[in-house]
Amino acid sequence: MITVEKIIREERFTGPSRSAPGLDREISALSFPAQSQGMVGLSFGEQHFIQGGIAQDLRSDGRKRLTYRPISIETGVIPQANGSARVKLGATDVIASVKAELGKPSPFQPDKGKVSIYVDCSPTAAPVFEGRGGDELSAELSTALQRCLLGGKSGTGAGIDLSSLSIVEGKICWDLYIDGLVVSSDGNLLDALGAAIKAALSNTGIPKVQVAASAPSDGQPEVDISDEEFLQFDTSGVPVIVTLTKVGRHYIVDATSEEESQMSSAISVSVNRQGRICGLTKRGGAGLDPSVILDMVSVTKHVSEQLMNKLDSEISAAEACEEES
Amino acid sequence: MEFVSPEGFRLDGRRPMEMRQIRAEIGAVANADGSVVFEMGNTKVIAAVYVQNRSQQINDQALVRCEYSMANFSTGDHMRKPKGDRQSTEISLVIRQTMEACIMTNLMPRSQIDIFVQVLQADGGTRSVCINAATLALADAGIPMCDLVTSCSAGYLNSTPLLYLNYVEDSAGGPDFTVGILPKLDKVTLLQTDAKLPIDMFENVMQLAIEGCKAVANYIREVLQENTKQLECRRGT
Amino acid sequence: MAGKSGATPTTYSPSPTTQNKKRPPIFNDVDWVRSDARGFQQCRPAFLRTGAVNAASGSAYAEFGNTKVIVSVFGPRESKKAMMYSDVGRLNCNVSYTTFATPVRGQGSDNKEFSSILHKALEGAIILDSFPKTTVDVFALVLESGGSDLPVVISCASLALADAGIMMYDLVASVSVSCLGKNLVIDPISEEERYQDGSVMISCMPSRNEVTQLTVTGEWSTPKIHEAMELCLDACSKLGKIMRSCLKEATSALQE
Repeated sequence: MITVEKIIREERFTGPSRSAPGLDREISALSFPAQSQGMVGLSFGEQHFIQGGIAQDLRSDGRKRLTYRPISIETGVIPQANGSARVKLGATDVIASVKAELGKPSPFQPDKGKVSIYVDCSPTAAPVFEGRGGDELSAELSTALQRCLLGGKSGTGAGIDLSSLSIVEGKICWDLYIDGLVVSSDGNLLDALGAAIKAALSNTGIPKVQVAASAPSDGQPEVDISDEEFLQFDTSGVPVIVTLTKVGRHYIVDATSEEESQMSSAISVSVNRQGRICGLTKRGGAGLDPSVILDMVSVTKHVSEQLMNKLDSEISAAEACEEES
Repeated sequence: MEFVSPEGFRLDGRRPMEMRQIRAEIGAVANADGSVVFEMGNTKVIAAVYVQNRSQQINDQALVRCEYSMANFSTGDHMRKPKGDRQSTEISLVIRQTMEACIMTNLMPRSQIDIFVQVLQADGGTRSVCINAATLALADAGIPMCDLVTSCSAGYLNSTPLLYLNYVEDSAGGPDFTVGILPKLDKVTLLQTDAKLPIDMFENVMQLAIEGCKAVANYIREVLQENTKQLECRRGT
Repeated sequence: MAGKSGATPTTYSPSPTTQNKKRPPIFNDVDWVRSDARGFQQCRPAFLRTGAVNAASGSAYAEFGNTKVIVSVFGPRESKKAMMYSDVGRLNCNVSYTTFATPVRGQGSDNKEFSSILHKALEGAIILDSFPKTTVDVFALVLESGGSDLPVVISCASLALADAGIMMYDLVASVSVSCLGKNLVIDPISEEERYQDGSVMISCMPSRNEVTQLTVTGEWSTPKIHEAMELCLDACSKLGKIMRSCLKEATSALQE
């Protein structure tokens, strides 16, 4: 065996923060296995500790109930995409990319472009996502994001301005393909993906298009895509997503996966800059009293203002950083 | 098409025998036992290793599994491929077999080693990059190995042997060798190609690829040593 | 075919290309009449029956206007061997559309997320502790899609579960509200759903006053969402009563 590896192995066994790979699995296997939420296996003591901490407004990592983990945003991480961003929220790590392609508008909405959102859970994030294991979560996250960002069926209230994607009405429009990838998962994936998509959209440049004037009226008009001139995408209307997780009688934001395993239910609300609700999804099986839901919605509105400002400053810092390099 | 200019430069500005820029970052995935982001030129992959204790039929050695997946945005064109298509199954198999050759499975009985490789950007030579990333991730996870497997590719275009083809060069249809070696033992564990090459040129191209592998091996060793130093520093000894 | 265009057609053929090119301006007005002459806050008449499928442990059929749904419940039966031991029961839900459910053939398969929403809506109402190690399968089939499909499926599924004798805390009633311009329209039909600016769907357990599932799309202000939720919850409690009486009828018919 190589010496370097020996040292690393020793480091692992005695290291302060991480235990040996085999060891912690063994402990989790011994502990209470009936937690239906899945991957995280916690003992009764640990569960009690997390719940108690939340009740006293001091969570296991020292945060208050309504405090986010530190967010770091990096834009322009995927060069071949029109826009991309990587968002780290504690140990949660996601990448979003935006690709624009020319397409044909749907006959129901000839004056609007099309947007599709798709999320993939990489098995690197957790072994359970191997093969088809991540499909269910991927589908759930994709639907929730579509609901939160694309507005109603008629397209009003969409966070992304679809009519700005139209080029020739009924003939040509931009199709935006938004892809999310979960690289590392430690809870609160939806908020992180929402933030990543917002950052990726503000990083997106859509090429300027020249439409040939002498287009035949019935055929497909010819277009010329510029290589140099790009239009900045307007993201002022893109909402932020805030997930409020209910543990015991209290609500917390930005739950880690350990905290998520203790939740009774959670609601994800997307709120735009005007403080209006753009979409809402409830997760978790337990029922909620209607008044509790309304209370949770008002809390998310309050939190979303701070998050929106935080994201805006992080995104502009990331863009400035990208321009420098 | 001209892949090497009269001045001796390739399309991306490299010399025929020049390596692409390599960058590695250990510890990219917090929950994994070992993980790394590995870049060679524009090709970028994430590898994560998870070790589980799982008693199964094989009691005397570890079970190694591997899954290779490509992100939707990894290639230039936009397509959403279903998971587990033939190509990724084949690459998963190649990576698994290569890694099995160096992992001392008999030292970790009853355990299961999962290697997950996710391609973020593809610009030629994904196989090689995936193998290098997997090696580093395994070392980061502290898996006993008899050597650090490294891999590199080499091709032959415009009657010039070229080290590590990028996507454009790779799609030209010329021969492209992916070679994996155990650098200390000086043994070849992987050799793949899908086009014909004059036999007298084979040795040259092969030698070039092996040189590339050795260069990668040196880099990987440096990264690991640097990482260990940092860990030591953090421990305060 | 084209040559005979002058002759009056003897058979009816729906033409999906002519309808709905553009949003009818009528929805933008403050006052308009719904195409089935209902009031804005009036639900479609509900027709509910249990015991529609003989082979199932429990089943129900629901008809709300043109929306026709059949749900069958199988089990509790032994969970698959591959699954891990669980001391609570499992619930498996699947929503599918017949190929003739929509005007354009096979369009119903767009609604892939319905299965998971149905699962989440029912999960909280079922006493899963009462059947450990076993699985209950809920299969919903939309025979005809006429708008508000998912709420009808959820209500019908809870009725089928009750018919199968699965222990529940309460029945789950579900209603959706669409926002069209300035108006809130309850229990929308397909056409109204297509032009909606936003929608709220609530599934709740009326006697416990608990919401098991809630989804909101589109842009909403807080007072508006309060109003929509009130409207839904009120309708849910009324629907709950109808569902209850349907179950009572079925048992009294059985006793006779």
